[in-house]
Amino acid sequence: MLHRASPVTPVNLILLSLFVFLVYLRLKPAKPQTLPRAPPPTVFRTFTPPELFPYNGQNDMPVYLAVRGRVFDVTAGRNFYGPGGPYANFAGRDASRGLACGSFDEDMLTKDLDGPLDTLSDLGEEQFEALRGWEERFSEKYLIVGKLVPVGSEEAKAAAARK
Amino acid sequence: MAGIFNQLDAQIAELLAGWNIYSTGLLVGIVVFIGWVVYDTQDADTHPLLLARQSQASYVRQPGESAIYRSPEAPHGYSLRTGLAVKPPGAPMYSAGRDGDLRDIWRRVTGEIPLEKNANAGVSSGTAKIMTVFGKEEITEHDVMEISKEISVIGQHLKEHNAKKVAIYLPNSVEFLSSLFAGAFYGFSPILIPYNQPHSTLIELLIQTGADSLIAQAGSVPLDEVSKGVSGLRSVIWTVEKTSRHMDWNEVPEGIGGKTDVSVWHELVSERTGSLQLPQDTEKAPNVVFLWQEAPGKPAEIVDFTQQNISAATGALISALPVPQRLSPTDTFFPGDTFTQSYTLCLTLAALFSHSTVVINSVAGPGIDLRIATRLIAPTVAVVSAETAAKLHDTTTTSITGSLKKFAHYLETRVLTSGKLPTDTFLTRLNAPTRASIGTTPGKLRLLFVSERSGHNTPPLSSEDLSDLRIYTKARVIYALTAAKVAGAVAQTNIYDYRRGTTPANKHCHFGIPLSSVEVKLKDTVSHKTTDDGPVGEIIVSGPAVAGGETELGVDGTYHEESERNHANMIQVLSGKTTHLRTFEETV
Repeated sequence: MLHRASPVTPVNLILLSLFVFLVYLRLKPAKPQTLPRAPPPTVFRTFTPPELFPYNGQNDMPVYLAVRGRVFDVTAGRNFYGPGGPYANFAGRDASRGLACGSFDEDMLTKDLDGPLDTLSDLGEEQFEALRGWEERFSEKYLIVGKLVPVGSEEAKAAAARK
Repeated sequence: MAGIFNQLDAQIAELLAGWNIYSTGLLVGIVVFIGWVVYDTQDADTHPLLLARQSQASYVRQPGESAIYRSPEAPHGYSLRTGLAVKPPGAPMYSAGRDGDLRDIWRRVTGEIPLEKNANAGVSSGTAKIMTVFGKEEITEHDVMEISKEISVIGQHLKEHNAKKVAIYLPNSVEFLSSLFAGAFYGFSPILIPYNQPHSTLIELLIQTGADSLIAQAGSVPLDEVSKGVSGLRSVIWTVEKTSRHMDWNEVPEGIGGKTDVSVWHELVSERTGSLQLPQDTEKAPNVVFLWQEAPGKPAEIVDFTQQNISAATGALISALPVPQRLSPTDTFFPGDTFTQSYTLCLTLAALFSHSTVVINSVAGPGIDLRIATRLIAPTVAVVSAETAAKLHDTTTTSITGSLKKFAHYLETRVLTSGKLPTDTFLTRLNAPTRASIGTTPGKLRLLFVSERSGHNTPPLSSEDLSDLRIYTKARVIYALTAAKVAGAVAQTNIYDYRRGTTPANKHCHFGIPLSSVEVKLKDTVSHKTTDDGPVGEIIVSGPAVAGGETELGVDGTYHEESERNHANMIQVLSGKTTHLRTFEETV
């Protein structure tokens, strides 16, 4: 006697559901590929020395330093300029004189943050040469995120008014 | 332990005992399905992550503005594209090349400057080819040396008449291009006036631009009115089509006297027997004046483009395409919009520069029907305005009847969304979706440029419309944003970007990345200010392709970061009132 094979057996059900599942995977619309969001761009800012001072790498702040009025973001060189680094004195300060003279001493920095900026007028030709070399390296390596102006100058007042 | 395995074994044996013919059938079906999937899967045209982040933002932004966005071809810190990088024959392959101007483009057309040796260059005959189509007539090919002779004759004639600003009031034609190149060689400034103006507007435009000469089609301009209205007009050259050449066009209407000199193009060309070499001097070629006009009869903005603006835009348009997709000598280029639009003109110059075959049809304009205009030719690359593309889309969509066609369209849309084109599969051969019949040979069109004019109320094309156009034309579609003071385009979508649904359905699709000849930033306006969430503001474009160095578009572009994609919604502010909301995406 010939038994008619029944289409509904457990094996068939498993195979059928496997087939339907594969077809579903094939027909499912693909999710668009995404990239994580990039950090928002830094806003160019006009700094006065007291405003620049906190940017020395402590309290999770980025590390900035100023060379001849231009503020560089040197957070990438945190090992050098951040807290505990050999040039940590420069962080958050005007480093122009120190770079020109090649010294990291305390007396290279302007003591009075509310006073005028260091004019570098007593430096010689070879010191300016050294400063220019440092500035060029900085421009190539680090981002310029602001400019440094003395407290009470026109630009400082304009920047404060804009905020 | 052993008991559990024995039980499991018994269960599996019991399961498999029910194996019958249907099980074998299902198993064969699964294996065939997996085999077909493996066979059929192709890579997308470009990596999807490359589409997710396209234009490069600068890392610092000025307060009150957004970051500056540039094409990856011209990253921050490097200069933007300033020209065509023309290399004299015999120069080493990797030398920089100079910027070049219209004269160098013509020298490339004639073969004086050879095409660069390039694996993808195709076989060039040594010159570009220029053909014209007149209505339903045959296509005529023009000899490039003959055109050189015409350029020389017309240029010398105008130079002898001390022409400094020559108005060109012609439809798309070889004479148009000849006059344009003659201006560069012989030191006069061509003023490109859009065709089909009412006479009063034409006179007004001639006065505003200070034209002292006019090249126009015979019979299209009432010489007495124009001569009376435009006091500075000194010479007129009529171009006459072949069928009307038996008439005498030299006669000057009374009342004009000896003030205006009237000549006829073909007579000048046949009379001149002197030296017909194009001058080789290298002093700076004069500017080209374009008119940015919404429609004939409306007031026009007069824009003065330098030769560098034009060659920067042309160079950027050439390099915006990936090397396998660039214009080559095997391409047939059809400009479907007038040459008075800088985008169409720069693309035509790019096609000439690459030794393609350029087919000129005098009916080309903003709202033409592409299928009718390409009745006699089979273009591989075409540039059309947004109106033409919208018209093509609407007429083809209404002609889709029947659920089978709709289903085929749906399937092709799915293939496009997964990043692949062309969309020919086994299923589409069985059941093809509706295609627009463009050109004599279907399927030849491989690239369609669609230009959107900012500020001109052109119909918006959403991302779904563009995707449908890709299916209808079976070609890649590029959507470009053009503006008055920017030569070429401000931004262009990636050729491989087939994504849909990135922008709302009834608004403009995004416009992709800026060309490598410009950089774009968004400036804060009263209602839109950039924050850390995303850039918003009025679109400001600067770079070597911008007349005057920097310009604002007058439309606001805003960025909204929505899930993973950046969108810029463009709000058009017309005299303080907000009109419709348009979307502009620049993916970062």
